[in-house]
Amino acid sequence: MTTTDIPAPTSGPGVFFDGRTSARHDVTVTLGANGLQIADGTGRTLADWPYDAIEELNAPAQVLRLGRRHDSVLARLEVLDEAFADAIDIRAEGIDRTGAIHRRQRSHVIGWTILATVALVAVSYWAIPAIADRVGQAVPAAVERRLGDAVNMQVRSQLDTHQAGAAFDCGTGAHEQPGRAALDKMIKRLESGAALGMPLRAGVVRRPEANAIALPGGQIYVFQGLIDKADNPDEVAGVIAHEIGHVAHRDNTKSMLQGAGLSFLFGMLLGDFVGGGAVVVAAKAVLQSTYSRESETAADRYGAGLMKKVQGDPQALGAMLAKIGGATEPGMKILLDHPDTKARVAAISRIAADGPTIPFLDPAEWAALKRICAG
Amino acid sequence: MTIEASEAASTAAVRFLGARKAYWWLLARGALLLMVTLGIYRFWLNTDVRRFLWANTEIDGECLEYNGTPIELLIGFLAAVAILIPVYAGFFIAALDLGTLGEMSGLLGIALLGLAGQYAIYRARSYRLTRTVYRGLRFHQTGSAAVYALRAILWWTVTAATIGLAYPFQLASLERYKMRHTYYGDLPGRFAGAGWRLFLRGLPLWLLLVAPLALAVSALLEMVDWAALGDALSAETEDAMARIAETNPDLPTAIVFAILMVVGSIALALLLLPAYRAIMLRWWLSGLRFGDVTLTSRLLMRRVYGAYLRFLGLALLFTVALGVGSIPVLWIAGALTAGGDSSIAAEAAAALVLLGGYVTAALGYSTLYRATVGYALWQLSTESLHLSGVTVLEQVKAQGQPSSALGEGLADTLRVSGY
Repeated sequence: MTTTDIPAPTSGPGVFFDGRTSARHDVTVTLGANGLQIADGTGRTLADWPYDAIEELNAPAQVLRLGRRHDSVLARLEVLDEAFADAIDIRAEGIDRTGAIHRRQRSHVIGWTILATVALVAVSYWAIPAIADRVGQAVPAAVERRLGDAVNMQVRSQLDTHQAGAAFDCGTGAHEQPGRAALDKMIKRLESGAALGMPLRAGVVRRPEANAIALPGGQIYVFQGLIDKADNPDEVAGVIAHEIGHVAHRDNTKSMLQGAGLSFLFGMLLGDFVGGGAVVVAAKAVLQSTYSRESETAADRYGAGLMKKVQGDPQALGAMLAKIGGATEPGMKILLDHPDTKARVAAISRIAADGPTIPFLDPAEWAALKRICAG
Repeated sequence: MTIEASEAASTAAVRFLGARKAYWWLLARGALLLMVTLGIYRFWLNTDVRRFLWANTEIDGECLEYNGTPIELLIGFLAAVAILIPVYAGFFIAALDLGTLGEMSGLLGIALLGLAGQYAIYRARSYRLTRTVYRGLRFHQTGSAAVYALRAILWWTVTAATIGLAYPFQLASLERYKMRHTYYGDLPGRFAGAGWRLFLRGLPLWLLLVAPLALAVSALLEMVDWAALGDALSAETEDAMARIAETNPDLPTAIVFAILMVVGSIALALLLLPAYRAIMLRWWLSGLRFGDVTLTSRLLMRRVYGAYLRFLGLALLFTVALGVGSIPVLWIAGALTAGGDSSIAAEAAAALVLLGGYVTAALGYSTLYRATVGYALWQLSTESLHLSGVTVLEQVKAQGQPSSALGEGLADTLRVSGY
């Protein structure tokens, strides 16, 4: 019995599947006080479903498909009559044909995933470098050494231009030996101040660029172009001190760990949608350049500090950077892996020598170093 | 009852009841939310898409039901991540540890990921089947995902070795494995499609694509003196180009010809793609069996072409809209980075604007594709179906348990997911 003016139907037709066989039953559904009674044509009750156990299931728009919640037997009742479906909807709380519950759930999901995304970006900006710092310091020297050997092989094969008749390494030929000795003297002095805990291996290689690189495990390559461009021994020493900074900070290992962390966070958890690949690549590029700029700044500070410690000229690194950095670099700043040269030079100039500096090499040794790649 | 009457009574049609508009709305909203949530919304979108397609597919007067949930997919994904992290970490360490194992870890990794992908495909199919309910009974799948993965990898090897000629036989074999382990309740499925039938239908397409490539290869072999070319390249002299020109006067012609042929082959492939999809779908659908239930498909190739044309038309319109829409975007990005000495924050903002534009474009095209070709292929496939022997559908008994969504998660992380 209903109390409204327009009598809502209290029983109606339906189609029932009992979940045990696929047989189709045309049934009459009666709306009881506490639940639905489902009876077949002979009046036999096939099922009795309490209103609070009913859930609405996936069906086309014009069908109301019902089942029992958390039931391993997939019994289904289908109601096509609009008015009767409304009458069931009113009685059973779990049925929500306006989609309000669905929409609320959806907005929860959206809200939380946006928060999760923000958290992920924050983690990748602050936490990944911090974690890489800690883990990087904990990597045993032997592992780093092995890693260094592997990287060394790759780097050498990439950089070696196979100039006809000349070895990749400078300082091996008979005329180059004095240059090699001068370099060793320089390295020895820097190393004594650095106290790295692992032996440095430094050498000059035949490359035209004014550059130097550090590999994991203490291998440093100074390019011939850098020696050519330097005006005094302290400028070369300053650059080597900067590279020693990378070795001391284990920047190679750290950047590898950072890359792996970013790949995991962005590649695995996010971005599996069309166009998402670009988001991942862009985010990785920007973040890794940010990390790299930070480690360059730290290596500059270390290098100038080391020069000061061994009574070299801390400003020489700045002078060399100004020479090779030149004017403002083209391209976007967020993708540069080095900070702006002007800023670097300014930061280095704040670290001044305490007293008089001692030159790294005498003029004869300096002249020999200049000829280390003479062949 | 006469024989004709009983036969007539045991046939059934399949109808598709979906409204295209509703599907468009679902996909458009989904694309927007994918962008905002950087892809995490995919579990909800995929579930919505399946709910729509399943519920609107009516077989013999009864609609399918999809009862999987986004949360299940999310859990499956997290489980897959939990499994794959140690594996990836292992490869990472092996790569650092460049011993013999390390050198092999790259190859081994690719082989393992290929296997895992096929494993995932089988498990994901199992998940979808057990979430598909028809007349109060679920489908399910037995068989071993590992065995399937091994078979699939072996078949892929054979197909690659035969430049695709074995592909129809691969499909038939793998489909037989899948279908003989597929059940609707206790009604066993099987696959009756023959590989050689698909082979014969597909052979003209294969020849059309391979012929230009074969011509290109033979031209390169005929017209180029490879020994002289090798000598010229290995000699480390400045005038390598001059020596090549001297010993191999036909080289430029051969290269231009080869490039033209490859481009031609690619163009043909694009033109023939709808035909290929139509042939494949029709063959596959007509091979499906469940007990006495036989499926026949009368899928028309020209309607598949129609769907692709529709996509092309809409994609063109979208491209024009993008072109117009990108003017303000580029203007904003330009204004932010103007003056050479812009701050890092301004650059980041400009990069975000550009990236947003790119993602909008990519998601837009993919949404258009799903809404036109994806939708049409489902609709045309279902509507082309004709079932006979459906009387058995009255007395199928329930069987099978729901399987986990781990396969879906693996497929998702390994980027091999389908519907």
